[in-house]
Amino acid sequence: MGKYILKRIGYMLAVLVVLSFILFLIYNLVPNNRAYTDAKAEMTTMKTRLRNASEAEKEKMFEDLYVEYQRKYGTDTKNMVVKYLRWIGFMPNYYGEYSGLIQGDFGYSYELKDDVINVVKQPMKNTVFINIFATILALGITIPLGIVCAVKKGSKGDQVMQVVTIIGYSLPSFVTAILFVWIFCSLLGIFPPSGMKTPGSNYTGWKWFTDRMYYMALPLITMTFCSLGSMTRYVRASMIDALSLDCIRTARAKGVTEKAVIYSHAWRNALIPIVTLVVGWFLGIFGGSLMFENIFGINGMGKLMIQSLRTQDFDVVVLLQLFYVAISLIGNLIIDIVYGLVDPRVRVSA
Amino acid sequence: MKKKNFFSRMCGWVRRAFFGGSRELANSVDVEEVVTPIQQIIRNFMERKLAVGALCVVIGMFLLVFIGPLFMPKYYDSYTEVTQKNVAPTLSMMKVPSELKNDIKMIDSYGSFSVGLSNAGKVYVWGATQLGTTGINIGEIPESVQNDKIAYVAAGIDHIIAISETGKVYGWGSNKHGQYVTTDKEVLEMLEEAEESVSDEDAALLEEAGVSAAEESSEEGAEVEEAAAEEVAAEVEETKEIDKAVSVGENIIPMPTELVTGTIDVANVKKLVCGYQCTAILMNDGKLYIWGNTNAYQNINSFVDKDGLIDIDFTLNYIVGLTEQGTSVYTGKRGLYDQYRANINSSAKASKKFLNGRKITSIYATNNHLCGLLDDGSLFFAGNFPQDSVPMPQLHEGETIEQLAAGTYHYTALTSEGRVLSWGGSTLNQTDVPADVNGKTAKIFAGAFQSYAVDSNNALVGKWGLKGYLFGTDGYGADIFQRIIQGGKMTMTIGAVAVIISTIIGIIVGCLSGYFGGAVDIILMRVAEIFAAIPFLPFALILSAIMAQMDISENEKIFILMAILGILTWTGLARMVRGQVLVARENEYVTAAKAMGVREGRIAFRHILPNIVSIIFVTLTLDFATCMLTESSLSYLGFGVTYPRPTWGNMLNGANNSTIIKNYWWQWVFTSLFLAVTCICINIVGDTLRDVMDPKSDRDK
Repeated sequence: MGKYILKRIGYMLAVLVVLSFILFLIYNLVPNNRAYTDAKAEMTTMKTRLRNASEAEKEKMFEDLYVEYQRKYGTDTKNMVVKYLRWIGFMPNYYGEYSGLIQGDFGYSYELKDDVINVVKQPMKNTVFINIFATILALGITIPLGIVCAVKKGSKGDQVMQVVTIIGYSLPSFVTAILFVWIFCSLLGIFPPSGMKTPGSNYTGWKWFTDRMYYMALPLITMTFCSLGSMTRYVRASMIDALSLDCIRTARAKGVTEKAVIYSHAWRNALIPIVTLVVGWFLGIFGGSLMFENIFGINGMGKLMIQSLRTQDFDVVVLLQLFYVAISLIGNLIIDIVYGLVDPRVRVSA
Repeated sequence: MKKKNFFSRMCGWVRRAFFGGSRELANSVDVEEVVTPIQQIIRNFMERKLAVGALCVVIGMFLLVFIGPLFMPKYYDSYTEVTQKNVAPTLSMMKVPSELKNDIKMIDSYGSFSVGLSNAGKVYVWGATQLGTTGINIGEIPESVQNDKIAYVAAGIDHIIAISETGKVYGWGSNKHGQYVTTDKEVLEMLEEAEESVSDEDAALLEEAGVSAAEESSEEGAEVEEAAAEEVAAEVEETKEIDKAVSVGENIIPMPTELVTGTIDVANVKKLVCGYQCTAILMNDGKLYIWGNTNAYQNINSFVDKDGLIDIDFTLNYIVGLTEQGTSVYTGKRGLYDQYRANINSSAKASKKFLNGRKITSIYATNNHLCGLLDDGSLFFAGNFPQDSVPMPQLHEGETIEQLAAGTYHYTALTSEGRVLSWGGSTLNQTDVPADVNGKTAKIFAGAFQSYAVDSNNALVGKWGLKGYLFGTDGYGADIFQRIIQGGKMTMTIGAVAVIISTIIGIIVGCLSGYFGGAVDIILMRVAEIFAAIPFLPFALILSAIMAQMDISENEKIFILMAILGILTWTGLARMVRGQVLVARENEYVTAAKAMGVREGRIAFRHILPNIVSIIFVTLTLDFATCMLTESSLSYLGFGVTYPRPTWGNMLNGANNSTIIKNYWWQWVFTSLFLAVTCICINIVGDTLRDVMDPKSDRDK
């Protein structure tokens, strides 16, 4: 098992390196030049000193500054691999300093005038919070629903659910969101349409929590609703597969109660694909919550990302993107490990 | 099966018991019709009513979006129309009320509704009468107007002004920008009610969204009125109002007090005309009353206290007047409308040269150009004429223009021979004059995008122009129905091309990987896993954002978008094809092909691939829906395809705040409906196909 896990981790790191390199290349397609910006900024701060300097002198000064900054940021070469390694933190820059992602230098947000790491912190918390909450809600609803549908397969209720779930997963998430805003905010007036907290309020403790939940309720309901369709179908399908196993027939023949057959025998067999699904889906909603954060004005990673894309704050974008990639890879690793734990065959063949 | 009666069944039993089974029976029992797998699939598919319905809907949608545009030759993407913004779905813009039909005195319109006046002095309003987010329904004519005998009536973009026979000036509709001042309690109540329905929060949101919502304006209306009539405004806190008056008073010219409280000499009224949010009353003695929103008209100050005019009209941004000299169009600004031409498509000349001593007797202005009658009976045109304007039809020898009326972009005229002509802007069919009005018409009216012809008995003989909008209009004034069709074409094209790209990559990778196995398999599957590990939406966002930075044309951007979608979605299909190929590889026919010396690649693509094509088809169907959704999501977020080119995604872009969701429901309901229905139906078809192709599914039932 240990060897298996090690192998998976090694593989994950390899993929991470490849992906981050691809990201780096894409990132370099953008005419975003940190050294140039900083050199320009420094030139303007020195304006008074340079008042008497001629154009040529200024030019020269700027060139020097530019080169200096390029060296500092490790962009004084055309070699992409060297640049990449410096960005990661495996190679020193011109001055022999290591300042890459590994050293904790994630870049600087020019739009928000802060280190990227500080900019990203709070939104990341929010995003993780709503995603975990939505996952728990969705699982709590879909698993029982899927099991009931599988057990009562072919009944009227099941057929209705089949259609409802198709509609559920075919509806674009933003259409659902618009619909819910219309129903809950415009028609019923129960929830606020957007925001994170009551404007101007400064609650603490329990009051803060209830206020938070009041504002988070609609996004959470919408997110949960959007994931119901596909999840329910998936649980139903794997449960049907599990119920048609020979061991189930044997158990029934032995006279095991139907309840025990379903929840103890069949459910455990259905669990393997469902575990994959849950992890995979959890990763999926990290990307998907981007939509909801934008619609409901939640200060999350998705909103930050869109905002940064609009303002061309690419340092932030790349870090967020790396986070999404890392989450996805870690998720895959967890799937693999859980697979290995649950299903001995996987371990053996690995 | 045919039901037999008891006797014939008895006979059957006896016969079978003693003489053996009949040939007929044997045939019906043993021999089943032989069907190919494809036929079987089709047959199974046809049994599912829901799926067949869904397929019909999908095909219908395809036909609609790909054939529909052929019927909209006048459509273009960047069409905007300021007077038709946010119009609710209606087809009643030309629906003259039946009581008015035989007794028309005058008809006027400016924006989305029309107002008519009968000879009996009754006022009628029709069209899209709900005024945007203000909550005002302009179709609710105040009782005092209904009870009075009205002599003149005119409509602006969101208000109506009427003058009664006794000289009282009425106004109703929105008065946020000083369109009118009233002491009428009913109208005030209506305004107040409307105010309540639009909360402050909504107004703030609207403001944010860039929609013209006037925040302070509400009180301001009441406040100007306070100056005139004390009784009603008493309740409102005065201090606040005075503050407001200072800040707002600058861009409003209030309605003259003598009109609010007193009356006007009706016999002396020459012309009542409404502009965007302004109104002008011109008297026979040259006196001009003018009031309204100064932001709407840049040169309104040149007309305040201006005397000696003989005609006045409104274009979109300027007021144009005519002085007694009649040598030029008076605008208060130099160089405005001083190039005249004889027809829309002829070349322009300086005004003096063109007139050559002739005098202008009257002017008729549309939104961006104007037309005037000269004292020798001929016409002149001034202003900017869009490329697609229809030139004025040639008049016959000796024929003169008897009457002329101007709409938003078109002119309608009645000639001395009784012919009715329409020319000018034709985007909304304003110039399609029906043939049967010629010779019968005695009076013509034109307003907004409609024209009406009335005979000598004051009965309506013909109407032409814009009927309305089936799905309403968006924030730019474009017809949502047309944009849905055009947007659907774009959305479906992008989805289809993306899915084709992804299918091609998926099939090639899957076949190679599955058939050759070994190192090829490992490498290709690792690549697929890397692609599968990319978080889809964020990555697509980054790519489209970077693409937006690049200096390439819109079409290339759309193609790159398709490629991005295709490249990010192929992994699922590749894996499935690989799995299928792995199974198919062991079949006898593959061994046979190998034995015959067929090349490896040929076996993979020509022998194995056709056997798994059905499964590829299912995936293709489902992926098509996914790609459409992804494109819509990207466009909705403002990446992907951007305005003015419509897609179903970016048409919903505006519907991201609750005020628009609530008040302009038509701007998101129909688009969402089309998108959702199409996706749901495609998914149902794909799901059912997968079910009917799977031989196991029969057993499951």
